[in-house]
Amino acid sequence: MVSSRVIRNLKKEFRQSGLAKLGLALVVVIVLTAVFAPFIAPHNPTDQQLNQSELPPIGFSETTERTSSQMVDGEIQTVTEEVEITAEPDHVFGTDGLGRDMFSRVVYGARTSLVVGVLGTLLAASIGVPVGLLAGYHRGRVDDALMRIADVSLAFPSLVLAVALIGLWGRAAVDIPDPFVVAGLAPEMPESFVLPITVVIVVGLVNWVWFARVARGEALSLRGQEYVKASRALGADDNTIILRHILPNAITPIIVLGTVQVAAIILLESSLSFLGFSGTTLSWGFDIAQGRDYVSSGQWWIASIPGLAIMLSVIGINLLGDWLRDALDPGIEGEGGAA
Amino acid sequence: MSLGRFAVKRSLQGIGVVWGVVTVVFALRFVTPGSPINAVAPLDASQETRQAIAAELGLDQPLYVQYLQYIFDLLRGDMGFSYIKGQDVVTLVFGRLPATIELAVAASVVAIILAIPLGVISATRRNEPVDYGATLLSLGGISTPNFWLGIMLILVFAVEFNIFNTSGRGVDVGDVALSLVGPEPVLGTLLTWLAYITLPAIALGTYFMALITRLTRSGMLDELSKGYVQAARAKGLPQTLIRYKHALRNTLIPVITVLGLQLGTLIGGAVITEAVFSWPGLGSLVIDSINDRDWPTLQGSLIVIGTSFVFVNILVDVVYAYLDPEVVND
Repeated sequence: MVSSRVIRNLKKEFRQSGLAKLGLALVVVIVLTAVFAPFIAPHNPTDQQLNQSELPPIGFSETTERTSSQMVDGEIQTVTEEVEITAEPDHVFGTDGLGRDMFSRVVYGARTSLVVGVLGTLLAASIGVPVGLLAGYHRGRVDDALMRIADVSLAFPSLVLAVALIGLWGRAAVDIPDPFVVAGLAPEMPESFVLPITVVIVVGLVNWVWFARVARGEALSLRGQEYVKASRALGADDNTIILRHILPNAITPIIVLGTVQVAAIILLESSLSFLGFSGTTLSWGFDIAQGRDYVSSGQWWIASIPGLAIMLSVIGINLLGDWLRDALDPGIEGEGGAA
Repeated sequence: MSLGRFAVKRSLQGIGVVWGVVTVVFALRFVTPGSPINAVAPLDASQETRQAIAAELGLDQPLYVQYLQYIFDLLRGDMGFSYIKGQDVVTLVFGRLPATIELAVAASVVAIILAIPLGVISATRRNEPVDYGATLLSLGGISTPNFWLGIMLILVFAVEFNIFNTSGRGVDVGDVALSLVGPEPVLGTLLTWLAYITLPAIALGTYFMALITRLTRSGMLDELSKGYVQAARAKGLPQTLIRYKHALRNTLIPVITVLGLQLGTLIGGAVITEAVFSWPGLGSLVIDSINDRDWPTLQGSLIVIGTSFVFVNILVDVVYAYLDPEVVND
């Protein structure tokens, strides 16, 4: 399935490309952050400390005017005073409007993004790849039907369709116990990871068509190969041929597409969370939506920092995708779709 | 096959896809939890209203009658009535459509004007600083969530420097055109228009700028290594002519197809950009209609969005066939 030539190409391309190294490094950091979030986050990301709200990140202490109402001689007066807002070493990225630690929220947000990105991609691939392979292999009516369904599916923008479906189905979420917290290793942290299950299903349903297109194209070109004809002559049935001969040879472009799709779905998830169509409140997109209300009053970091996290993750995954594409299959630039 | 026949054939296929779009949208009514009346009536509707709606929708009729009725209504230009907004859906949707088209076109123009030269320069000066710069810029562009970029633009250009407006549409683009060609041309309207549209257009266009830069760069690299380019060089044709007339033309053909397919991304991006900048387009109508559970408006918006996508892609295919006549015979 993965030949030694493929491995050689991957290594060669990796040695030559600084961007591939950067991509791998970013992805490794994000995956480790997501997995070990309870040990990396200094605070519980959902703990509110109202007396510590709106603290700036380290290095950005500032003075602002704050108005408050005070009782002076039995009358209520509005007093404006200069307040020095100092960053706390305990809150590296500052705190949000409810005094939650931004760094911890960014760390935990990686879990949501990565899990939704990977599960959504797997779901999309598990629908799209079989459908595409069958259509491309059998051609004829099955293929025509698939292509028409794909055309209709493409006519709805992913984000619009996702928003509509979540609007109709509701924002369901599943609590998955955090093994580290259950084992008592990080007692302060949230006991469970909230998986926005509707979002996973919906992003899978709106993005399967990209996999179907690529798998179909591969099957179309592979079905005429000599070895496929040979095994058909030997009496192998269609399903065996698809599974044994077509799929292994079509897997490379599917993997490349899968990488790009994880990035696209992370962007889609953040858009959905931003618009309030998610089942979790621990997500980068959700935090950007919260931070948006603070932009005009000067607390720039609440919206900025989660966005940087999204950008770095997606850059890392895209670089990884570029590396895989350059090493494995130079022919599929531009397919893949996005949020 | 002639180009004309190709266009007709593609249009007929397009009608089939639009029919599919309408069917999917009709079916949405039945994946809604509860009675289809709930999908149309406001939550606090009285029993009389509900019965009136049920009768109007023909919910007592068999399913195929409802479906045919829905299609005939659409053909007559009737998308139903929004009880929540108290308006015809057609009026609502087509009232919002121009603002979205304006935003999408502005974003595409920004993207194309910047991206094609950037991609060409990047390819012709491969591995020079300008190439690295363009590569990093386009990598950042395809990796940045557009709603976040929008908020960052607001933060810098509206909050810190107070140059641009961040909410609403300002003036109609038609008024801008009228004011410029009128008896006494006024620049003021143009400036107002720019103050409103610049930031949303950049926020929405950046992803496409990045995507087109990447596609143009790799396409140009591909073309420049081909035999016909070397032959043209050997003949002594000027570099500029080879690059911009021969290589770029061949590069743009696949770029146009990808852009057609990415139109959905553009409209999806417009939905969220409109939410950030309170741009009164179809995107904000979609979000509002979902939040208000205003299904007739949602259905109408989805049909218009899907149909525009199909229409633009037919146009793209015909342009493609014009640029590359081999496609017609494929």
